[in-house]
Amino acid sequence: MSIFAWRNLLTRPLRTVLALIGLSVPILGVMGLFSVSNGLRDLVGETLSRIEGVMVIRQNVPSPVFSTLPASLADDLRRLPGVRAVAPEVWGIAPNIEGRGMLRGLLSPKGVSSVFDQPVISGQDIAAHMNLNSAVFPRALKEKGEGRFLTLEDIGKPNIVISRKIARDFPDPQGNPRKLGDSLRIADKNYTIVGLYETGSLLLDVVIVMDIETARSILNFAKDSISSIYVEAKNPGEYDALSATIEKANPGVDARSMNEVKANFGSLMGQVDKLLMMTVSLALIVGIVGIINTMLMSTTERFVEFGVLRTNGWSEANILTLVTLESAFLGLLAGIVGCVLALIGTTVANQFISGGVHLGVNPSLLGMGISLSVIMGTLGGLYPAWRAARLVPMEAIRIGSH
Amino acid sequence: MIEVVNVWKSFRSGIRWVEALRGINCRIERGRFAFIVGPSGSGKSTLLYLLGALDRPSNGEILVNGQNLVTMSEAMQNLYRREQVGFIFQSFNLISNLSALENVLVPFLPRGITADQRARAGELLKQVGLENRLDHHPYQLSGGEQQRVAIARALVKQPLLVLADEPTGELDSKTGDEIYKILRSMQHTYQATLVVVTHDRRFITPDDLVLEIQDGQVALDSGAIADGSSSPNGSRVEGSAGFNGEDSPGRGVSLKTGE
Repeated sequence: MSIFAWRNLLTRPLRTVLALIGLSVPILGVMGLFSVSNGLRDLVGETLSRIEGVMVIRQNVPSPVFSTLPASLADDLRRLPGVRAVAPEVWGIAPNIEGRGMLRGLLSPKGVSSVFDQPVISGQDIAAHMNLNSAVFPRALKEKGEGRFLTLEDIGKPNIVISRKIARDFPDPQGNPRKLGDSLRIADKNYTIVGLYETGSLLLDVVIVMDIETARSILNFAKDSISSIYVEAKNPGEYDALSATIEKANPGVDARSMNEVKANFGSLMGQVDKLLMMTVSLALIVGIVGIINTMLMSTTERFVEFGVLRTNGWSEANILTLVTLESAFLGLLAGIVGCVLALIGTTVANQFISGGVHLGVNPSLLGMGISLSVIMGTLGGLYPAWRAARLVPMEAIRIGSH
Repeated sequence: MIEVVNVWKSFRSGIRWVEALRGINCRIERGRFAFIVGPSGSGKSTLLYLLGALDRPSNGEILVNGQNLVTMSEAMQNLYRREQVGFIFQSFNLISNLSALENVLVPFLPRGITADQRARAGELLKQVGLENRLDHHPYQLSGGEQQRVAIARALVKQPLLVLADEPTGELDSKTGDEIYKILRSMQHTYQATLVVVTHDRRFITPDDLVLEIQDGQVALDSGAIADGSSSPNGSRVEGSAGFNGEDSPGRGVSLKTGE
């Protein structure tokens, strides 16, 4: 019967193609949106996997950039059991770099190209950071970068480590990427580039690393204030417990282990996925209506055929199965077309997207797209199938003959 | 044997009800070639479809080989149509995207086709002279060839009863003759009961049973005449149609031909 159903679709090629387009476009939309969602998930997951420790910030702020803590908190944390290393940091959005800034960018072409490209300053207590085992930027510089990371010699000096991306985004007057030894003007002062790192992550490759005192002067941070503290545990398996200990001992602070951040981000992305699904469900409903319309037209034209099948002993269930199979096949075809288009689209789009975001169409997403399409096709075919099956054979032949 | 007892059938037509059949009684012995004749709108096709369990009468009983079609469940009706009845229509009603062979096998499609069924379908098509047309689709066949495929489809299930609604209505007279030759030959071979609705009385032979329907009632039942029984509406049927042939008195009814 499935071959018969398949042939019925091919008998009306134009209608089948139009119905395919109607259904494959929403499927393409679903795939496209979820590939973006997957891409972000992969990016953040990959970024967080580089960071092992606990980030201590003020409660109820989204990131260290918006946090202020007393500098004395670092000493309190050092005394807690299970703590191996404590590294205070000052964070802030960089003021104008080479005359370009985020706010100016919104109004003039001289600004940064997007909010994701906006450089962020990370002032580090160099001595404390040298004691860390899991510091992200020194490792990235060692693996893929060039030059050197900050040492005790850089304390109080205008030396910085930047990413290759920043070096490209803020080229020298000749248009070439900044090199080691070049200077970069931040606000109204020049800073010497001593190291170039590359993490490959959109979220990390915007950080300009410098001595904490230098950062304080650029960001107008008070001497006794810091933004956050990076804490390493003695036992890497105890980060969640360490977070709880820090929060219990210091009300008003938020100690986020990367597991917690991952979980929070996963939960956030789950909400985003739901929102995406709600949005695309409108398109899916339109697709289902298209299938219903197509199948209704098809079944109305074929009343005689159904009557003839009934006279030959086909049951109502057989007719229902036949028509539903046809619409399920339509859904399957639309799903395959939508997935192929999504694969092509994301492959092309990935050529133009930088910063570590990679639109992801993985096998499970492909499976979901095809399954969704088949379900939509089947649902869309149920009413026309039921209507065709309910015809009294004699009436079907009579109606169709006139 | 088919026994129709006081069958009524009403249809809704717009806001009013139309009585297509009004107390039909008749009996068709097994293996007979029966014709249902009468003017357009007299209820011929309705009676035929009721014999095929394509609908249920509003009142009355229809017994086919002891099975009451009126009280039969939907599933049993499906089974009855699938295994015991073959249909032939005026417009052939073949499935356009199936080949001749596949059209013959349509009754078996939902349950899967066996090699035996496929062989039988091929043999039937050969018997109706379409052995070289097995893979042809309906649009590649002439009207007469399509009707032959329809005959093969009706017979592939080896039915007890074949119902034909104006089987030559869309064919020229020469092709019509061929179709009736095939039908009679097949009926002889398979010993099926054949009931044909027709306007064209040229194909009726003296041995055939003839039921003439007018205004939803049996106006003439040649079988009843042969039995000497009274007509369904109580009056004795007289030989308004005159018997022909002394060797089979009453079984054949000479009716006006060429209508």
